[in-house]
Amino acid sequence: MADLRLLRMRCYWRLAVFRTGAVNAASGSAYAEIGDTKVIVSVFGPRESKKAMMYSDIGRLNCNVSYTTFATPVRGQGSDNKEFSSMLHKALEGAIILDSFPKTTVDVFALVLESGGSDLPVVISCASVALADAGIMMYDLVASVSVSCLGKNLVIDPVLEEESYQDGSLMISSMPSRDEVTQLTITGEWSTAKIHEAMMLCLDACSKLGKIMRSCLKEAALASQE
Amino acid sequence: MGPMNDSSDLSSEMEVDAFRRLFPLRFHERHLLESIRPDGRPLGRARDTTLAFGAVASADGSALAKIGCTTMLAAIKMEVMTPTVESPNEGCIAVEFHMPPICSPTVRPGRPAEVAPVVSKQLSDTILRQVVMTFSGMIDLKDLSLVNGKAAWMAYLDIYCLDADGALFDTALLSAVAAFCHLKFPMVSLNDDGRVVVVSGESKGGKSGKEAVNKEQRKLNLISIPFSLTCTLHNNYILADPTAEEESIMETLVTVVLDSSLQLVSFYKPGGPVLAFTSAVMVSSDLQKAII
Repeated sequence: MADLRLLRMRCYWRLAVFRTGAVNAASGSAYAEIGDTKVIVSVFGPRESKKAMMYSDIGRLNCNVSYTTFATPVRGQGSDNKEFSSMLHKALEGAIILDSFPKTTVDVFALVLESGGSDLPVVISCASVALADAGIMMYDLVASVSVSCLGKNLVIDPVLEEESYQDGSLMISSMPSRDEVTQLTITGEWSTAKIHEAMMLCLDACSKLGKIMRSCLKEAALASQE
Repeated sequence: MGPMNDSSDLSSEMEVDAFRRLFPLRFHERHLLESIRPDGRPLGRARDTTLAFGAVASADGSALAKIGCTTMLAAIKMEVMTPTVESPNEGCIAVEFHMPPICSPTVRPGRPAEVAPVVSKQLSDTILRQVVMTFSGMIDLKDLSLVNGKAAWMAYLDIYCLDADGALFDTALLSAVAAFCHLKFPMVSLNDDGRVVVVSGESKGGKSGKEAVNKEQRKLNLISIPFSLTCTLHNNYILADPTAEEESIMETLVTVVLDSSLQLVSFYKPGGPVLAFTSAVMVSSDLQKAII
């Protein structure tokens, strides 16, 4: 186990794959597969805000994350995940140029097809690729990575099993090319030194993940030109 | 499904696009006169269909079906249950159809799509009604029995619409049937209390005398396989396998479900302004036969 983990430490995370244009009915969409975690995100709009909404000079962002009933090993309810929905909203809010679509709403809907650990970071990264696919103006892509603290070890991009044993977890969503962080969450037991180490690890991983996301978008753009 | 005319002049393309949005019915009728559809298909042709098995690793059986852009993901999870007193030697199947907000701009979170319960009912009717007539059922529920009166399989079939572009029921049924084809029963054994439990993969080679009840990983026997085809009726025209746009403009739909021996399983015509005269029905089922 330890050896395996060391190996993974070096190559950082499970195989990450992004594809745009997964859902034709949406303005933009992306499919992400990182290890066993599989996610689809659709972006709709900018479109008319709900009637009940107050007037707003800047655009609105509306996020929703839900799970399929077969996403988890034990059959679940497949209900909305309110916590993840608001976390996704906060992670993306800072990266989107909301001034560019006043009075309207952009909807970001995510569906976790299979949960294999690190679900929220995958949803956030996938959502930013989907937003780019929809042509929503952003300062930069948002790449998100989490680290679990297992005893003395730090484990990046934890799988479901590792997450269930973790003492603490740290997640960073960042805009790699601007070197800015949109969201940082720390839960559980951490020492200051460990937090520092984990943050460095995450930021480095974010910039690498950002490159993968960028290359996926470039490929899609080249393919559509031909 | 891009625009159909590759006209070199951008302005004329814009005009066509505007015409399509402003006068959708006239736009489509103009195409019908030429016996062609906006996506370049002749009236009677269905879209390309693809099928992938085992798309969900965590399920016991799963399939991804695609008709044109319409995409459905079906997964089956098996659980052991105690059968009912009325039918001690039968298992049970629960069918659920979901339209998450990712699939279409009309679906919003917290407000389920109007068509979802309709498709859900149609699906469970098609899959389960057959079961009642044991001679031509799709699945014999007795195959889902483990120990008479003690234990049976409960099959949870969940179908998710990932992309909605017309012909939802056809795609959903295709994915459901494919998921049942792909289904492998998990290993079960008797535990110390004499109850039947599912054995997880790793502990299968266990020593403690817990023999697997069903040794070989059995596959489900499908007696007959239903296929369906939806057609849109408009005046005298019959359009096979409509897209979402066609469905919304020409509102009369006819769905014909046949099984593999070309027996009629079910027939739906949920209202609509055009009357389904006999010939239309005949043609729909002929088209269907051609597709099988």
